[in-house]
Amino acid sequence: MTDDKDVLRDVWFGRIPTCFTLYQDEITEREAEPYYLLLPRVSYLTLVTDKVKKHFQKAMRQEDVSEIWFEYEGTPLKWHYPIGLLFDLLASSSALPWNITVHFKSFPEKDLLHCPSKDAVEAHFMSCMKEADALKHKSQVINEMQKKDHKQLWMGLQNDRFDQFWAINRKLMEYPPEENGFRYIPFRIYQTTTERPFIQKLFRPVAADGQLHTLGDLLREVCPSALAPEDGEKKNQVMIHGIEPMLETPLQWLSEHLSYPDNFLHISIVPQPTD
Amino acid sequence: MEDEFFGEKSFQHYCAEFIKHSQQIGDGWEWRTAKECSDGYMCKTQFQIKNGTTASHLGTPASVHACLPTEEDLELAVDGSEVMESTTASEVIKYEYHVLYSCSYQVPVLYFRASFLDGRPLALKDIWEGVHECYKTRLLQGPWDTITQQEHPILGQPFFVLHPCKTNEFMTAVLKNSQKINRTVNYITSWLSIVGPVVGLNLSLSYAKATSQDE
Repeated sequence: MTDDKDVLRDVWFGRIPTCFTLYQDEITEREAEPYYLLLPRVSYLTLVTDKVKKHFQKAMRQEDVSEIWFEYEGTPLKWHYPIGLLFDLLASSSALPWNITVHFKSFPEKDLLHCPSKDAVEAHFMSCMKEADALKHKSQVINEMQKKDHKQLWMGLQNDRFDQFWAINRKLMEYPPEENGFRYIPFRIYQTTTERPFIQKLFRPVAADGQLHTLGDLLREVCPSALAPEDGEKKNQVMIHGIEPMLETPLQWLSEHLSYPDNFLHISIVPQPTD
Repeated sequence: MEDEFFGEKSFQHYCAEFIKHSQQIGDGWEWRTAKECSDGYMCKTQFQIKNGTTASHLGTPASVHACLPTEEDLELAVDGSEVMESTTASEVIKYEYHVLYSCSYQVPVLYFRASFLDGRPLALKDIWEGVHECYKTRLLQGPWDTITQQEHPILGQPFFVLHPCKTNEFMTAVLKNSQKINRTVNYITSWLSIVGPVVGLNLSLSYAKATSQDE
């Protein structure tokens, strides 16, 4: 029987085989071969693609290279979303490898945030963590940590160091013994069919009577269209880290074990594949 | 769900009161409801003119149009000014200000973006140039008090944001004080009058009078 702790490792070490191809209109001095890479599901595009950038820049002139950005089937990829979320939401029903197109010009200002440096990724990551703790613990746990603890969380993610990261992150997964869970669950639900980028609301993990709320309870409350009607056909997949957890799973357990390193549950609602 | 001191319902109530007054004085604020949801946000568009080569100090009332100008207004401003020699369309900047509610921090948050009339967006460094010196020091003190680029949670597009996590601190002081002197306060009016000027958004004094007249 798998230990709950093993789930944490499986989530952390999830990878997506990806093929990066240079956009055909980029000006090259020599042929740029596609570049293959296993992307960590829990990380961010601009954090793990240095090698991709170097590879394609070798085939281009310095003056033709501007800020790098990525696109999948015409959709600019938001670097500030975790890689696993982007894949589940946009490409989970397609065959592997994930085919991503690399651009070095015409940055889509209206769609993408700029990512001037790794510091921007760190700032964004820490901002998400802070927000998650505001929901879980009224920011008490994260504010009590020292700067070096915050640094350790970031370095753990950046250097793919599970133990380094969880040595500190475990504190963010604790709750007072008299409670049965966090104050509110940090979650975001994404669907490509809506204009709104995601749904985020206040939702408690425990009901007034002490019963643990489930994933199904959450969806019924904040995104009922995601669920199939009682006797109807299943239209959507509710996906986290590439899997469909049972709707009866307690939300508190999901938050402790299937959150991304930013401590959010990033949930994708995608159409049920028809094969 | 609302045991909090400033819940979403309060937010919507204060915004509605604020917009009532805005309509009375033609200040241009309006409410937009989000699709697919019952929530929404307050927004206003404002045009500002960059004087010559340096950005006008956005904190100074003289350089800020408090309400949406007509094309005539813009022409008059251009013709009447001695400072501007040849004002072209590229020197007029369109600012959009959005006031949203953060359920995570249970406070309002100010989102804004700026672009030239031809659609080119302003970069963070251009925005930064327009922030008055006296605000810059305060903003540079902590990463959590600074202006960053973030995704608008309802529109999904890049906007600039003043980080909300210190809002509770200064608003608690404002609200405690007003309780002491027995004065009603519109949370949104007070909050916006504090954070707005930092990024070029000023409120007419009549907003304050409107609140105390209501009771």
